[in-house]
Amino acid sequence: MPKLKISDLDKISQQVRKSVLLREGAGRAKVTVHMGTCGIAAGARNIMSTLMDEFEKNNIQDVILTSSGCAGLCSKEPMATVELKDEAPVKYIDLTPEKIKKILTEHVLGGKIVEEYALARGSERVS
Amino acid sequence: MNEQNADKYRLHLMLCAGTACVSNKAFKIKEVLEQEIKKQDLENEVLVVMTGCNGFCAVGPVMTVMPDGIFYHTLTEEKIPHLVEEHFLKGRPVKELMFTPEKEEIVIPKMMDIGFFARQTLIALRNRGMIDPEKIDEYIAREGYKGLAKALTEMTPDDIIKEIQVSGLRGRGGGGFPTGIKWQLCRQAPGDVKYIICNADEGDPGAYMDRSIVEADPHSVLEGMLIGARAIGAQEGYVYIRAEYPLAMQRLLIAIDQAKEYGLLGENIFDTDFSFNIHVKQGAGAFVCGEETSLIASIEGRPPEPRQRPPYPATSGLWGKPTNINNVETWATVPEIINRGSDWFASIGTEASKGTKVFSLVGKINNTGLVEVPMGITLKEIIFDIGGGIPKNKKFKAVQTGGPSGGCIPASLMNLPVDYEKLTEAGSIMGSGGMIVMDEDTCVVDVSKYFIEFTNDESCGKCNSCRDGSSALLEILQKICRGEGEESDLQTLEEYSEAIKDGSMCGLGQTLPNPVLSTLKYFKNEYLQHIKYKRCPALVCKEIVSSACQHSCPINQDVPSYIGLIAQGKFEEAINIVLKENPLPLICGRVCDTPCEGKCVAGEWDDPIAIRSLKRFLADYEMKHKVGTDAKPKEAKEERIAVVGSGPGGLTCAYYLALEGYQVTIFEKEEEAGGLLSWGIPEFRLPKDVLAYEIERIKKLGVEIKTNTTIGKDITLAALKEEYKAVFIATGAHKGLKMKIPGEETEGVLDAVAFLREFNLGQEVKIGEKVIIVGGGNSAIDAARVAKRLGKETRIFYRRTKNEMPAISSEVEEALLEGIDIQYLVAPVNVLSSNGKMDTIECIKMKLGDMDESGRRRPVPIEGSEFKVDVDTLILAISQQPDISLLSSENGLKVSRWNTIEVEPETLHTGIEGIFAGGDVVSGPNTVTGAMAHGKIAAKMIDKYVRGEKLERTYEVTRPAVYVDAVALTDEEISSLKKPEMPCIPVEERTKSFKEVELGFSEAAAISEAKRCLRCDLENRGENGGKGESA
Repeated sequence: MPKLKISDLDKISQQVRKSVLLREGAGRAKVTVHMGTCGIAAGARNIMSTLMDEFEKNNIQDVILTSSGCAGLCSKEPMATVELKDEAPVKYIDLTPEKIKKILTEHVLGGKIVEEYALARGSERVS
Repeated sequence: MNEQNADKYRLHLMLCAGTACVSNKAFKIKEVLEQEIKKQDLENEVLVVMTGCNGFCAVGPVMTVMPDGIFYHTLTEEKIPHLVEEHFLKGRPVKELMFTPEKEEIVIPKMMDIGFFARQTLIALRNRGMIDPEKIDEYIAREGYKGLAKALTEMTPDDIIKEIQVSGLRGRGGGGFPTGIKWQLCRQAPGDVKYIICNADEGDPGAYMDRSIVEADPHSVLEGMLIGARAIGAQEGYVYIRAEYPLAMQRLLIAIDQAKEYGLLGENIFDTDFSFNIHVKQGAGAFVCGEETSLIASIEGRPPEPRQRPPYPATSGLWGKPTNINNVETWATVPEIINRGSDWFASIGTEASKGTKVFSLVGKINNTGLVEVPMGITLKEIIFDIGGGIPKNKKFKAVQTGGPSGGCIPASLMNLPVDYEKLTEAGSIMGSGGMIVMDEDTCVVDVSKYFIEFTNDESCGKCNSCRDGSSALLEILQKICRGEGEESDLQTLEEYSEAIKDGSMCGLGQTLPNPVLSTLKYFKNEYLQHIKYKRCPALVCKEIVSSACQHSCPINQDVPSYIGLIAQGKFEEAINIVLKENPLPLICGRVCDTPCEGKCVAGEWDDPIAIRSLKRFLADYEMKHKVGTDAKPKEAKEERIAVVGSGPGGLTCAYYLALEGYQVTIFEKEEEAGGLLSWGIPEFRLPKDVLAYEIERIKKLGVEIKTNTTIGKDITLAALKEEYKAVFIATGAHKGLKMKIPGEETEGVLDAVAFLREFNLGQEVKIGEKVIIVGGGNSAIDAARVAKRLGKETRIFYRRTKNEMPAISSEVEEALLEGIDIQYLVAPVNVLSSNGKMDTIECIKMKLGDMDESGRRRPVPIEGSEFKVDVDTLILAISQQPDISLLSSENGLKVSRWNTIEVEPETLHTGIEGIFAGGDVVSGPNTVTGAMAHGKIAAKMIDKYVRGEKLERTYEVTRPAVYVDAVALTDEEISSLKKPEMPCIPVEERTKSFKEVELGFSEAAAISEAKRCLRCDLENRGENGGKGESA
């Protein structure tokens, strides 16, 4: 590695920025794949790995990808929830790799809800 | 750059690899985590990152799961497979591994919601737990080396110094000297060659913030040094780090290599004319090397002894060149100040102390760990809100700040804002930030001794005052801890301390007396307790205490000896040991509040030994088999002594006076003897035949008891004095206090003591169907259990929580079992009535507010939370006072504002010729053994009075009267021993009768329980121990 120039500091930062954002728990959006037993059986792992590939391919850095348990609607699995910052979460059902790719492009990156795959806007309240 | 690209993972497991977690097997956890992750096929999704110290060392190994911030603690290998499957695969965070604060029930999943983390402000520790300390790229991604870039390209050295000056940063190593000024002095010093040094020779017991910073974020220290070197004009730097910090050293060396590789150390950094190199020097861990001239001597290869200053290192330091030394935390703070600006930094903290300070919170505190907080935060916030308070509900006593050079700050000053000046005013120092928290079980004399032992060990020996002075202090402190101190020692301690301060060249000697001086300032009484009364209130000093149970017993019961004899099956010998110091064992075995059990060493990890139940077993055994040897009175004397009141104090006094040969008459107002024992405690706790048996023991010695005789009415005190040589007044405290709320004079509002008296004396009591008792003491519980047995709907309202209840806790449990409803944090505010009879009370809900000076949280009403309750009988059991109106009117007895009789506390003499007083009438409501202790003292003092001797007491260290061998136990036996359940009559039977609830241990149960005793008395037998003959 040659000697750093000041401008290299920003370059290095960019390269590991996603890790930093993830660790700071700060992202523009969060995608949660529901990975309960039902979800996994219905193919949730495939949804997760599709998302991970897409994130890497498109160098998406400011979106947090996470998993959670069964969403309670087992017949509609695989499911995922998309939350854009300051907006209500949207649940998507009966996902396939193609569908989640479309959701990623249009909703997560484009900001427009993919109504045809969406279950409903909103999420249960946790009391 | 990093070969491993962390960016592709969706989860980062930030596993703490600070020294504390590593010693709890963090590396093993990592291995198992990675195995399991692989097993679940998640190795491309989940990354394990080893970070520096997370700070919450108390619950290590800890791990934070990002991005969600879920915090897991106390991880073990066995827990990992379940965790990986549930959380990382299925997305269900595992509750069982999350944090629950002490005394609460709700788990807190996220790190930032846990009080320990939420209240912190991180500057020096900004990267802890966020980066892998061995990866420079991660440091850079968190704005690392940006401060350096700015300093090199946008600022002149003078700008840098000005920025640091304006920020108000002061040295974090102890002295608090303004960092900017220090740098400027070095910059201005003539010379081309200059050095800077990072002092990482952290040596205070209990302090580890520097180690943690180097472990978690070594580049922050390097960057700070680079900026400092630029400002001062230094070309070379040293990190002086103690060899006991291998992990910190390793990470520091890795960081230096990486910085070199990136050209951040070496020639022409960032293509400027600035060149700088850093060397690492290992120290051997001598405490004196924290002093800068010693540290310099050590780097130069000379013995680490301080030298006279001036010249200061700023003009003549390492190899005689201008040198600037700062500690790790100061250096780590510098880059943030340059990067974010002095205004930002100066906006945090107090007037003269800016920014944040890292403290290591250790000792008797729930959340042991490393915390960074803004200057000006109070000690209370640090210890209670962040530190989670004191374990096991014990009382906060003091905190030692600044290590051995600091002082002890008492609980009464816990609202003190923490900054350099305020700590100095309180007699302590900021130091490097150690905070050793002490609870009620910490002896301050022992603490002083510990610190002086440390500094005495670490004194380099160059200055006579420090070397010999610390030895002299130590000798005196050791003497006091053995119970051999004299009052003049305190003055000597102070004089020596001042001399050591004046005569020592460096900080070590100048500050070493601080622990002694501050404890003398705030805890002089505790020193005096050791010296004069041979008491160690915290039960620490072994040579005074012998065993905690015996030392804490008001009547000096030789607990380990009689328990040792029970374990051997020698019940007869055992009961005779009990009887020597206690004429009322049947009673004490039933109703004693057992301070001994509260301090029992076995209770620290298991149930305390059931001392009261064992005593009861012996006393019951004696009553059944009549094996007690009746004590023989000395030859009869002519003098007659009067005792007023036949409660535990009066009976005990009469017993010991009779043993001395005096002719004793007890005067009792009621029809039956026993005082509170007879009419205050219900039969289901203390049966009448038991009481009668013990009163008979006293009568057998010739004591006469005249009942139905009220002194001050039937006979005047003056007449009594005429007829008797001396008088002991022990009339108790039975007048119930009012709540001072509107309507409490209404019919239906009763006083608990009066209620119990009328009931127990067989008089008619009128209570309704819905009974509420107000209070949390034994009278409240007794009154409630009586009401319940009378078939009433019974509730207790108490204004604090269960933890604060003064009643004996086993009695509270029995009351709950019997179906009594206890409501906490409720207080009546108004009694409402119709037709002159109470029918409703208005109550208000309370919450626990701020702590009072004793460390107990005050109940405060919650506004607007008033509610009404239907009730027809309200029984007040708030507290009692003595009623001495009949006694005080004629005789000039001194009465306090609590209506108690004032006496000379050591001799119980009232100041009136021949009249003594003791028990509750002197102390206010206290315990049975408290009254008995007064009875014993009074008997001794009255004897001296009659003999015409000087009224004074002698005090001795606690020792068992006989030597009792420990019973040999196999390992199996030891592990199978458990506290036996106390057999009780079934709950259904209780509410119908007043039969005694507890049935007492069987012989087998008693022997088994006695075997569980750790026999602390044997630990300190030595030459002074076991002065009596073998048993």
